[in-house]
Amino acid sequence: MKLWVKLALTTVLVLLAATLSTGAAMLYQTLLYNQEKTMESGHQQLASTAYALARELENGPLTGYSEATKNSYVNYTMKKFGASKYILIEDGEVLCNMTPFDLADSRDERWQQQEGSAVIQKSGEQYILIEGQKVPTSGGSSYALVLVQDISALYQDMKRQMVFGLWILADAAAIAMLLIFLMTRRILKPLRELQKAAMDISEGMLTRRARVRTKDEIGVVADAFNRMADKIESQVTELSQVSEQRRQMLGSLTHELKTPMTSIIGYSDTLLHVNVRKEQQQRALWHIKEECSRLERLSSKLMNLMGLYENDSVSMEEISMEELFAHVAQMEKYHLEQMGMRLDYRCSMGKIRMDRDLMESLLINLIDNGAKASKAGDEIFLEGQGNRITVRDKGCGIPEDEIGRVTEAFYMVDKARSRKAGGCGLGLALCVMIARLHGAELEIHSKVGEGTKVCVVFPEIREESIS
Amino acid sequence: MKTRILVVEDDSSISELICMNLEAAGYEPLPFMDGLAAEQFLKQKDQDGKEAAGGEIPALALVDVMLPGKDGFELMEDFQKAQIPVIYLTAKDDVLSKVHGLKAGAEDYIVKPFEVLELLVRMEKVLKRTGRSRKLIQIRDVTIDLTEHSVTRGGERVALKPLEYELLVTLASSRNVAFSREELLNRIWGVDYVGETRTVDVHIGQLRKKLGFHQVIRTISKTGYRLED
Repeated sequence: MKLWVKLALTTVLVLLAATLSTGAAMLYQTLLYNQEKTMESGHQQLASTAYALARELENGPLTGYSEATKNSYVNYTMKKFGASKYILIEDGEVLCNMTPFDLADSRDERWQQQEGSAVIQKSGEQYILIEGQKVPTSGGSSYALVLVQDISALYQDMKRQMVFGLWILADAAAIAMLLIFLMTRRILKPLRELQKAAMDISEGMLTRRARVRTKDEIGVVADAFNRMADKIESQVTELSQVSEQRRQMLGSLTHELKTPMTSIIGYSDTLLHVNVRKEQQQRALWHIKEECSRLERLSSKLMNLMGLYENDSVSMEEISMEELFAHVAQMEKYHLEQMGMRLDYRCSMGKIRMDRDLMESLLINLIDNGAKASKAGDEIFLEGQGNRITVRDKGCGIPEDEIGRVTEAFYMVDKARSRKAGGCGLGLALCVMIARLHGAELEIHSKVGEGTKVCVVFPEIREESIS
Repeated sequence: MKTRILVVEDDSSISELICMNLEAAGYEPLPFMDGLAAEQFLKQKDQDGKEAAGGEIPALALVDVMLPGKDGFELMEDFQKAQIPVIYLTAKDDVLSKVHGLKAGAEDYIVKPFEVLELLVRMEKVLKRTGRSRKLIQIRDVTIDLTEHSVTRGGERVALKPLEYELLVTLASSRNVAFSREELLNRIWGVDYVGETRTVDVHIGQLRKKLGFHQVIRTISKTGYRLED
C-alpha cells in the first residue's frame, strides 16, 4: 500500500471517528436541551393555563347548566386560552378535546398530580410531548389539563443536522485526502530522486548525486547518501588507479623481460646455428651471461617490491639514525670507492620507528641512483636533519618534465645509460613504497647538469621520539 | 659490394646480436642506437646525394619501435623519403601495434624474441619483393648470378639441376647460418613434398662435388648444413 493511501486512510478514519462522536454527542445534547426547553415552556403554559382555567371554572357558572351548555362553555373557555392543544379532563372523563389526538387513558394518575408530569410518545413518524397536571380548583369536580404537542420538528431538525454534518464530514475527508495526496507526493519527491540516483549509481554512473535540497529528514538521508556515494566513488577511482598501475607495471615487466630474453635466445641461437668468429662467440657468451644477471637483478628487485605489499613482513622498531647512516656508509664504501666516488654523511636526527632492512634498502637505492648519475671524483651527500633525510648528488640531473615519472616502475630517463649501470627502473618505485610504509613521502628536486636531491620526509616526529 | 642494412636498436646487446648475425650472413650492418641519430643519418644522405655519404644506400632498415629520441613509427616518414624499406623489430606484440606498423608502411613486423634464421629469411623476402636482392653472390671462386640463374666456377659455367641451384642459393644467401634438413626440404621441395631427408643429403653431395665445396658446405651435427665462406 502506498504511503499516501495509508496516511489518507488513517486521517479519514480519525476524522470520521472524531466528527461522528462529537457530532452525535452534540446533536444529542441539543436535542435534549430543546426537548427540555419545549417541555419547560409547555409546563409553564400548562401551569398558567391550568391556573387561569381554575379561576374560570371556580367562578364560572357551570353548575346547574345542561351538559351541552357546559360543554360549549368549556370549549369557549379553552379556546380563550388558545391553542388547540389542550385536553381537559373532569373526574377521569375527557371533557373537552381540541387536539387531533385521543388520550389513551384519561384516568391516568399522572395527570392528577399537582405538579404535573411529562412524557414523550412516538406515534408513527410523529413525536408527541404529553404533559398533564391537575387544575388547581378548590372543591367540586377534579379537573386535569393535558397538553399534547407535536415535537417531531425537533427530531427532524436533528436528522437534518446529522445529514448536514455527514456532508461536511465527507467534504472534509475528500479535501483531507486530496491534501494528503499532494503533500505526500511533495514530501516523497526527493525520495524518488534518491531512488533514481541509487539506480544510476548502481548502473555505474559514479559521479551521480541525489539532488535533494530539502531540510527535512529526507534531506538528511540524501546528504548521507551523497556522502556514501562520494566515498564509493573515491574508493572505486582509487581501486581502478591501483589496478591500472598494476596493469601498467605488468606490461612494463613483460617488456622488460623481453629485452634480455631476446638477447639470450638470439645469442644462443647464433652460437648454435651461425658460423661466427671466435671472438664473436666470446662476445655472445658474455652477453648471455650479462643478460642473465640483468634478469636476476630484476627478479630480486621485483621480489622486494612484491614483498612490500604484505605489511606483515615489516617489523618496526626504534632505530638510531646515526647508527643506520654509519651502517649504510660502511656498506656503500667499497662500491663507491671502486667508481672513484665518496659518500659524505652527516646526521642530527634522533631515533625513528622503522624497519631497519627496508630503510637501509631505501638509502642504498638512493645512494646508488646518485652514483649512477655521477662521474668519478664526485661526492654523494647523505644528510639527516629534523624529519627529513636527504640524498644529494652533483650528477647529471633529471629533465624537469620527467621528474614526475621517475618513481613509476620501470621508468628510466636514459635507458641505455641506466642499463649499462645495471638499473632496471625499479629503484625509486621501491623507495616510494618503503617511504609510504613509514608514513613518509619522497620529494625529488633536480636540475639538469646540477644534480639531484631526493628527500625522505617523515611526518612530524613526536617529542618523545627525539632523544 | 655487400648489401647495407640499417639497424636502429637502442639496446646495445640486441644491436650487437643483430649486427653479428647480419655480418655472418654477408650483409653490412649499420647500427644506430637512437631515433635521432638514424634520422640525422637519413637527412644527411638526402642532402649529400645518393653516392656522396660513403657507400651505398642501405637496402633495408631493421627498426625497433620504442626508441629514445624519435620512435620507430615516427621514423617511418624519414625512411620512406629515403626509399628504404622498413622491418619493425620490436617487443610490442599486440595486434594494434602490428597493424599500426604495417599500415604506416612497414614491409614486415618481427616480434622479439626472434630466431636468427627467421630474421634472415624475412629480410631476404623483403629484399626480393622490393627488388633489392643481390644480383650476384660470390663464394670463394664460385659466382652465382641470380638474374641469369647461372653458376660459374673460376669463370667456367657449372651445370646445376634446378633443385641443386635452389639449394645453393638458399644456403648461400644465408651463409654461415645452419639449416636443418627439414627446413631445406620445406623451402626447396615444398611443404607438400613427401620424401626423406636423405634427398637433401644426396643434393648436398652433388653440390659439393660439382663446386668443390667439400669444405664450404659443412655438415653440422644434430642440425643440418651450413655454407661457410
